[in-house]
Amino acid sequence: MTRSVAIIGGGQVAAVATRTLRRRGFDGAITVIGDEPHLPYQRPPLSKGFLQGREQAGDLVLLDESWCSDNAVELRIGVAVTSLDAFSRRVGLADGSSVRADSILFATGGRPRVLPGITSERVVYLRTIDHAVRVRDMLQPGSRLVTVGGGFIGAEIAASARTVGADVTMIEMLDVPLKRALGQNLGEVCAQIHRDHGVTVLTGEMVESVRDVPGGVVVHTAAGRQVECDLVVVGVGIEPNAELAEAADVAVDNGILVDEFCRTSIDGIYAAGDVANHYHPVFGGHVRVEHFDNANRQAAAAALSIMGRRASYDNVHWFWSDQYEFNLQYTGHAPRWTQAVVRGSLKARSFTVFYLHDGVIKAAFAINRGEEIAWGRELIAARATPDPAKLADEDLDLEGLVPLT
Amino acid sequence: MADWVPVAAVQDLQRRRRRLVQVGGESIALFMVGGRVFALRDACIHEQRSLSKGAVLRDRVVCPGHQWQFDLETGWEEDQERCQPSYDVKVEGDTVYVVPVPRIRVTEAGQAALGRS
Repeated sequence: MTRSVAIIGGGQVAAVATRTLRRRGFDGAITVIGDEPHLPYQRPPLSKGFLQGREQAGDLVLLDESWCSDNAVELRIGVAVTSLDAFSRRVGLADGSSVRADSILFATGGRPRVLPGITSERVVYLRTIDHAVRVRDMLQPGSRLVTVGGGFIGAEIAASARTVGADVTMIEMLDVPLKRALGQNLGEVCAQIHRDHGVTVLTGEMVESVRDVPGGVVVHTAAGRQVECDLVVVGVGIEPNAELAEAADVAVDNGILVDEFCRTSIDGIYAAGDVANHYHPVFGGHVRVEHFDNANRQAAAAALSIMGRRASYDNVHWFWSDQYEFNLQYTGHAPRWTQAVVRGSLKARSFTVFYLHDGVIKAAFAINRGEEIAWGRELIAARATPDPAKLADEDLDLEGLVPLT
Repeated sequence: MADWVPVAAVQDLQRRRRRLVQVGGESIALFMVGGRVFALRDACIHEQRSLSKGAVLRDRVVCPGHQWQFDLETGWEEDQERCQPSYDVKVEGDTVYVVPVPRIRVTEAGQAALGRS
């Protein structure tokens, strides 16, 4: 039986797992070890409200010192974990101390993928609150921003920057942003939203170099284009922080491999959140998800698993993105699909698209249709094979398409 | 104790299963599930989206903004550990009545005491 838990990482997963353990009555020792010099905080606002100055650092805190003290949680922040002995389950810290625990939870998240060979002071990534402060402090009416990457993070940064009045150029490698996630047509719908809000969207462009010039930098693309700006924010994905686990002989493949109970290949060691490549019963394979809601729910599942109260983690993944006046939501997992069914109007930017693979609904993407995403999530969880004509028919309630269980 | 105010006909709720009503400065979302009527403040405590536009899944309403799920009876959001204000509601004859004074049914401490968390 687990009498002590050490959590490596100090973000969303660490905070939710800690709260869940205490809420569910775990009364053993809990140690949270985070390498950032901050109390655990929420990351989603970093590209949204925080970047626009609507939220402050204090608003984002997930676990504060008084809660930790009241709940006997030892919070070790600003110190990195340097080693793990998987069999004694002893964690070595950069300050020379160590923590032993019956259960270890990897909540190490990821780090931004970097543009190789590009090192200017004016090129920043957006993962931590320190990064976000840097971008926020530079954003003002008329400042010139380049976002590299037209995915959801790049799009949110662009939207936030436009909202505060900065000039924005988005540089996307693919011919249409979000093409792999949403398909050509839907990616184009998203790109047009940015163009309509004054973003210069450059597609099929790779950044070759960034050169410092007085008062700014010039971004040179492979096609020979030059864009001068004050700051470059890169959002081209993250790499899972799985090296420590790998060094401890925990099985790693695109993140830390876990089963549907958040268990790694080594007894007593668990992983959740961005770093966890988890077996998912609904999709019948491993999925690694880099979103807030998954971090929350999987953290809670991991906490219960650690306590021996196992329930299969089969949550259908979901995320949202707020850009300008639009609320974008996506649920499910569809690395490929055979049919995309539109319900609503792409032109009016009020629709849901359902992604089906061989008739089975796998994912849904909506703009300003959150209620349909809720039903989409039910349909996906049920592995439903709805009639595409009915999915598209707005006179029919989606509720009626959910198979009775 | 404030008075009961008639806000809707049962028939209307039966047809659409939800309704947005304005009472004494409050926007109240009514839901009918399994023959029972529930009343929550319409504006979500998170970002003020309209709960009356949400999906009703089992005993919860799902906010269309960010999928927060509120217990129809208590307003409790389990993942967020926060509570949407709700209202006393009753049906008499063909009419739905509410007391348009918001109540917080569950707090985190209360939830823990109930052993439901």
